[in-house]
Amino acid sequence: MTSTAAAPVRAWLRFDWTMLVWLGLAAVLVFIVVNPLIRLVLASFEVRDGVGYTFDNYLTAYGRPRYVQALVNTLVMGAGVAALCVVFAVPLAWACSRTDMPARGFVRLCVLAAFIMPPYLGAVGWILLAGPNAGWINRAWVAMTGATEPLVNVFSLTGLIVIMACNLFFFVFVFTTSALELVSSEMEDAANILGAGAVRTAFRITLPLIYPAILAGVIVVFLQSLALFGVPALIAIPARYPVVTTQLWQFFESPVRVEVAAAYAIPLLGITIGLLGLQRLLLARKGYVTVSGKGGERRVVRLGAWRWPMFGFAATICLITVFMPLVVQVQAAFSRAWGRGFSLDNLTLENFRFILFEHQMARQSVFNSVTYAAIAALIAILLSLCIAYIVNRKLLRFSGVLAFLCMAPFVIPGIVLAIGFYAAYAPPPLALYGTALILILAFATRALPIAYASNAAGLRAIHPEMEEAVRILGGGRFMAIRRVVAPLLKRSLVGAWVLVFVPTCQELSTAIFLTGPNTRVMSVLLLDLSEEGKLEQLSALGSVLLVITVIIVAIGFRIVGRDFMLRRT
Amino acid sequence: MRAPKGRTLPIALAMLAATLSPAAAQLSADAEKALHEAAKKEGQLTWYTAHYSAETAEKMGKAFMARYPGVKVNVVRTTAQVAYQRLSQELRAGSLQVDVFGSTDIGHYLELKTKGLLEKFTPANAATTLESVRGIDADGMYHVSSLGMVGITYNTAKVKAADAPKNWPDLLDPKWKSQVSVGHPGFSGYVGIWVLTMTKMYGWSFFEKLEKGKPQIGRSILDTQTMLKAGERLVAAGPITSAIEAAAKGDPLGWVYPTDGTVVIIAPQAIVKGAKNPAAAKLFMEWALSEDASRTMVEDYQMSLHANVPGRGGTPLKDIKQLILKPDEILKGVSDVKERWRDTFGN
Repeated sequence: MTSTAAAPVRAWLRFDWTMLVWLGLAAVLVFIVVNPLIRLVLASFEVRDGVGYTFDNYLTAYGRPRYVQALVNTLVMGAGVAALCVVFAVPLAWACSRTDMPARGFVRLCVLAAFIMPPYLGAVGWILLAGPNAGWINRAWVAMTGATEPLVNVFSLTGLIVIMACNLFFFVFVFTTSALELVSSEMEDAANILGAGAVRTAFRITLPLIYPAILAGVIVVFLQSLALFGVPALIAIPARYPVVTTQLWQFFESPVRVEVAAAYAIPLLGITIGLLGLQRLLLARKGYVTVSGKGGERRVVRLGAWRWPMFGFAATICLITVFMPLVVQVQAAFSRAWGRGFSLDNLTLENFRFILFEHQMARQSVFNSVTYAAIAALIAILLSLCIAYIVNRKLLRFSGVLAFLCMAPFVIPGIVLAIGFYAAYAPPPLALYGTALILILAFATRALPIAYASNAAGLRAIHPEMEEAVRILGGGRFMAIRRVVAPLLKRSLVGAWVLVFVPTCQELSTAIFLTGPNTRVMSVLLLDLSEEGKLEQLSALGSVLLVITVIIVAIGFRIVGRDFMLRRT
Repeated sequence: MRAPKGRTLPIALAMLAATLSPAAAQLSADAEKALHEAAKKEGQLTWYTAHYSAETAEKMGKAFMARYPGVKVNVVRTTAQVAYQRLSQELRAGSLQVDVFGSTDIGHYLELKTKGLLEKFTPANAATTLESVRGIDADGMYHVSSLGMVGITYNTAKVKAADAPKNWPDLLDPKWKSQVSVGHPGFSGYVGIWVLTMTKMYGWSFFEKLEKGKPQIGRSILDTQTMLKAGERLVAAGPITSAIEAAAKGDPLGWVYPTDGTVVIIAPQAIVKGAKNPAAAKLFMEWALSEDASRTMVEDYQMSLHANVPGRGGTPLKDIKQLILKPDEILKGVSDVKERWRDTFGN
């Protein structure tokens, strides 16, 4: 064998074939995250049914005061939601993680429950509670005071903000809690020694230290609120408060103007980038070193006389976000007409009978939601696990970019992604419109960030030396992953799957633009039913959705312990 | 056909009568069987409908499937504009999902027809329907499969019959401030046509005044009824037949045929060109115009399309003052009033 012939052969043998797999996975990631965004941007410049590029779509999209107003309205709403989320979540997070407030575990559970309840069901609950004439609160108010005007009106900007915050404050809570768990008590001790009380210390020392986490939570909540579709459909239309999502929907009216919708969505992308830039700017000049690393001990703050007022605050939030909407919904689900209240002649199982047995698509939609979400969650988990592995073990150059791509869908408003998905997947050559695949792809993409964050955290805990042992003993990388990494991550993977499954099962913002008659998911069916305003049937179907979700979460609790959804992921 | 001698004349007369009467033209048993067999091979069809409430739509689907085993109909009930939006989205994506399209906005059919997007098919059963609804399209591309009425509806538990509004401008009375419920023309076909009719009769100022009365604006016209039932609102521009049905079931619903006229909705149905299940779609169209379909509709107090199937409850159509817009008026007018509505009501 001459050396000239041997060199390529050896190079051939040395070539790491697994590299192809990594590159392939990276390509998949680029395809599902970058492609829809590129298609969105391109679509915004396309000529409808024609060739070439134009700026006209932007002129149409922003050419009417009403359209611009919708954008302004949305930003006002988002700011309101973010502010209210902070008011709800930050004291609650502090009380739950650092103080001796009573019933902390229970309050945490309620926060989780508030997240599990999809925002459009919260909206149904609040219509029942705060409908101007027949809402429970207003009837009680009129009965007690003899007033002629309602106390609260759900069909208003305030209504929109409260309902959204009820669901979204979860994010701020989780972010804040995780930051608080890293702040050591030493600095607080210093403040105490210098004479500051518990509350003063909290405001002067603890709060500023966790400020970056709160800010991150605020940004996430703000962006999430822009993308919600169900709540505006139920509340903003009667409230006569047009927002971006309802406006985008109008661009899909005949003739379908995807290009204009894309152009209308682009500034939202700009806002996202702007917010992330602002975040950098705000955090750049200060040091938060105490937050990083494993500091000293963390002791419980004794609230003393504040114990019960603090609990009162927490209980009020639990009441507003979970118990009140839930109770009225269950009542409605068993009612002939919800406004007639609790009485025997109003009691019926008819709504459940209709939903479970009469309505042909309802059962199908339950099945669709669960299977699509399960498969999408699985895809997101597996893909993100591989990507996290690539990033963590630095298997590819520029792996940081891959990590960024995984996280990107978290901050891009879902409705923007939805338009991108439609532009990328619906028309030929892919022509996926009306298929299950288009929904699964969209769901998997939206689920990627949570899956990735969860897996990356899990992987960081596994030192490469165990895999190296496998490789020294002659096993390949895949063997190492299959026999070492995966078993070690098993619990974490199950936790991540549940964490991804729950919101995916309830997803509406992207589903609404991608669903076909045979691929309707529960959320879309709920929206279709809501057109007729039959809150009783909606509540019945919503209860089914909630029961399914609770069962899945309960299984998750059993396997991975009950705190897995409340940790920062 | 063999007949004993001496009885030829009566039979000939009967046959003559049969050819003259609509029943003669109905789908023959053989043709029905052949169509059923062809439809069975496709196995299913998808039906978008804005004609009925979710309950009635499901019931119609079940009745069809009971009559034609082996052919499944996927019932998708939404408001007319949403159904049209989904159809448009499918056409845009080049992936048609719907087979039979049932909107309450007749303008949709004119538009689809101009674009060559409807399948030309005249069901044999079309000849059995009431003369007044027959042959609405000269080219036989769409056929009336449902009738409806928009009138004034109210909650009888809270409003006495004597106090209920008598005509449309009565809804603008300040005494109904924050008590009126309406649907949204951007969603509901019924509401679009109602808004157009009111605009034609009273000008847009009707809605400017309505706006001041803070009406509750839902999406579907059926939402108004839900609002009345719940006691959230007292009076509405709502669907009459559904109010009759609800009242029959014991809900506190009343209805008024306004003295200035009840808006009559003529809702067609058509097969979309390029439908994936053409035979099943044809079978469904035949069925939708059959007496069987009328009987199913009448069970839920919908209006009958057949003289042989009497309606239930309410005043017969011929005895009320009707407001009917021409199809091309609807085509031209609805998108315009949708825009004006959004400008006035901001939603």
